[in-house]
Order: sequence, then C-alpha cells, then structure tokens
Amino acid sequence: MATVGRAVAWLLPAGRRDWIAAVWAEAHDVPPGLERLAWRAGGVWMFAREALVPRRVVRAALFAVAAAAAAWTAWPDSSVLHAAADRFGVIATVLLLAGLPLLARRFIGPVGDGWAARFLRVGGYAAILALIPVRAAVGPYPLTVPQLGSDLRVFVASGNSTHGMPGSSAGGPPWPGEIFFLVLTACYVVVLLWVTSRRSSVTPATLTIGTGAGIVFGLVMFSVAPLGLGSYASNPWLPGSQADPLVVLAWILLLGGPVAAGLLAARWHCRRPGRSIKLAQARIGQGVVAGVVANAVGALLVTVLGTGLIALLIKVERLRPLVYHAPHSSAAAAYGHVLHASQHASTYIAMCVVFPIIGLMMSALGVACVMPVPRQSDPQPGNGGGDSVPALS
Amino acid sequence: MASRSEFSAQTLSVLAALCDQPSQWQHGYALAKQTGLKSGTLYPILIRLADRGLVEACWQDEPTPGRPRRHLYRLTSAGLASATGALASAAERAAERAAAVQAGTGKPRARVRPGPAAPGAVAGMTS
Repeated sequence: MATVGRAVAWLLPAGRRDWIAAVWAEAHDVPPGLERLAWRAGGVWMFAREALVPRRVVRAALFAVAAAAAAWTAWPDSSVLHAAADRFGVIATVLLLAGLPLLARRFIGPVGDGWAARFLRVGGYAAILALIPVRAAVGPYPLTVPQLGSDLRVFVASGNSTHGMPGSSAGGPPWPGEIFFLVLTACYVVVLLWVTSRRSSVTPATLTIGTGAGIVFGLVMFSVAPLGLGSYASNPWLPGSQADPLVVLAWILLLGGPVAAGLLAARWHCRRPGRSIKLAQARIGQGVVAGVVANAVGALLVTVLGTGLIALLIKVERLRPLVYHAPHSSAAAAYGHVLHASQHASTYIAMCVVFPIIGLMMSALGVACVMPVPRQSDPQPGNGGGDSVPALS
Repeated sequence: MASRSEFSAQTLSVLAALCDQPSQWQHGYALAKQTGLKSGTLYPILIRLADRGLVEACWQDEPTPGRPRRHLYRLTSAGLASATGALASAAERAAERAAAVQAGTGKPRARVRPGPAAPGAVAGMTS
C-alpha cells in the first residue's frame, strides 16, 4: 500500500503530496470498518480532485468546448457581406465570457454557495453562448419582400435594408451593431457575475425568487412571441384573438412580476417588523435586485428561445410544416413566414434592454411604497407612538 | 446591505473548531468529529486555509509506536484574527435570522425533546 501511495504521489503537485499522505496516515486513527473505508475514500476523492480532475480545469474545459462549438457554428464565410464585423463579434463575445469571470473573481470572489447562484450563472452563460450561433443564423435575412403575390415563390433581399438583426451580415449597421451587442452582453455578464458571486450581498433567496419569476415570465413571453414580436403576437398556433389572454398575462408579468418578486424577496430577507433605516434599505436592495433579475432572466430566455426557433426554422426545412400548418400552405409560403419572422427578431434585443429597466423601476417603486424607508425622526419600535409609518406584520 | 461571509458554512465550522483551542495542534480526525465533515470535505478546506496562510500544518514529532506520524493543524495569528471576525459576523447574521423567524411566526420555536411529542410541540415544529 505504501509503495502504491508513493507511486501515485508523484502525480500530485509537490505542495499537495503531504496532504494526501496526511489523509492516509490519519486513517489509522479512524475506527476500523466502514468509517475507515469512508475516510480513505475521501482521500481518494481528494486525490482525484487535486491530481486528476481539478474542478477549475473541468469547468474551463467545458466552457472552452462550448465556446469553440458556438464560434465554429457562427463563423461567417469570407464571402459574406460584413464578415469582418461578424467575426469580431464572435471573438469579442467569447473573450468577454472567458475574461470577465477571471477579473470578477479578483474583486468579488468566486461563485456563491448554493445551487441558486450556480444555476443562474451556468444558465446565463449557456444562454449567451447559445446566442452566438443563432444570431449568425438569423442575421443574413434582412427585409425580404415576397414577389409574385400570395404564392410567395420569390423573395428579394433588400441590400439597403436596415431591418433584421443588428450587426448582421447583410442587415443592419455592422460595426455599431456589433459593438452595441457586445456592450449589452458585457452588461448582462457583469450583472450576472456580481449577483451570483460569493461576496455579493444578494441572498440565495433573492436569486431564487428572481430566477423563478424570470423563467415563468420568459416562457409566457415566448408563447406570445415565439417568432419575434411585431404589431401582433407571433404565435402561429394561437392566431388572432386566441393569443389575447397570453398577451394580457405577459403584460401583467412584465409590470407586476418585478413588483411581486421584489416584495417577496424584501419580506424574505428580513421578516422582522422594524423601521430602522438600515433594515429598510436592505429590504429595498434585495427587492430591487429580485425585480431586475426577474425581468432580465425573462428577456434573455425569450431571446434565446425565440431567436433559436427562428434559426431552426431557417436551417431545418422539415420543421416548418410543424409550425405553419395552415391549409394549402406551400413550402415557399412557410419559408416566407420564417423570413418575415427573422425581421422581427431584433425586437428580442430591444426586450433585453428595456425589460430589466422596467424591472428595476417597478420593483423599486413597489418595495419603496409598501416598505418605505423611515425618516430619521421616527421613533424606534417600543418607544412610543407618534406620527410614523405603520410597520408590516 | 451587509456583505455575506467570504467563508462557506463548512469552512466556518472548521475555523470554529480550530478556534476552540487556538494554540493547540489538532489532528484531522478530531476536527472531523467536531465539525461532522468527511475527510474529502475537511482536507480541501484545510488546504485552502493553509494556502491563504490562515492555518499552519506540521507532522507529529514523536509518532505513536506502530502508527504513522500524524499531520497536525492550528491557526496562525492571521488565521485567528480572520476566524474571530468571520465567526462573529456569522453569529450576528444567525441571531438576526433567528429573530426574524421568531417575529415572523409570532411564537417561540418549539424545542425538540426526546419521547412522545406534545401536540403543541409538533405544531410549533411544523410552523
């Protein structure tokens, strides 16, 4: 056993060999039987972590594989118009995703404890990585107009169009669009890293409430606008007024969701009825973060799902009849619908900008109105009454 | 808003165990029994604390006959200062949470006693 131990110890960095030997030596003082076996198993696990499969290496490798796959899929051909801008966008986004966590770790520490922070961080990164290839797929289809009337057999791409995805190969303004998208991505990544970091003051409950509300909102919004958002809901399975209840629900969740999430997070943070300024400020802070997270998660989710669906319909012809199942609908007609959908895909980017701002405003308003910050002159609880705001039970 | 601790809950439990006897060398199994942590969790924590200079480690000078030398651990002066501060902050947060829960339920938490539980105690535990 000692020989085996010495043989494998060289796999470890010099600074770690003593520790593995320490675990193994300590096993002699652990009661024999299952307990000693479990102790040694812990040593083997530790050895695997330190020598064979360091967690950071695994995470970095997984990210590298995912980023490489996304970049490979999204890489434009040299012949494509504005290929340089697209390539810059792909490289810059990957570098942003790779570099910001290293910077963030220095100032705000690694990811926080608990599943909420890890789930939100991994999910956010997966969503942003997924957006790289789907943007590239949707981007080359700017304003397309059908020719030959209702047959929709021939489409003409307008080279002068400003519709379509910002920064697309043949759509909107290339360089300003790419830079705008990069700045937006950076903002999302920075906020994501901050709220999920160990040294952040955002509690796991706030993250859970905000993420849960955001997922619900994102799914409802996707059911309203699965193929971009124009003047009307774009759900092909709920034409006309059939989508109205969902539209109403989406509005309620957009405006009321952050308020509800904010109030819930504020109350969960500290259920003690009190009127100290510090306590009230802490509650409002948690509530505002929950509201912003809710709407940001919702916006990101609907963007990924919607743009992804449009990209799939563009690339995979067999899926189009599943979506556009109107009678007498030809393949060309279905393709035409998809191209029109790609025009409205840019509204998803607008959602990513506007929704978190709405979340911030609504949650701040809601929490501040229901749980206002007391004035300095308000008496403390138990010190008598007076002209003061009633405490919440 | 108050910042959360830079140490995880498990790390705080290790620091608390080391703080009990800050000048005494302790071995791994004793720490594991005090904290309830398994070896695969405890030793990575000790490694990280040692890397940060908060814990110092050494091999036992005079091993027990028939047994290998044991690895011993204790807090450094910097570790003692960090641990004291972190544990004080954690105790403060725990007291705030306990007060909040008590105020939120409007009644004191039921104590768990051995033997048949009284109906009131069961109701308190589930509230």
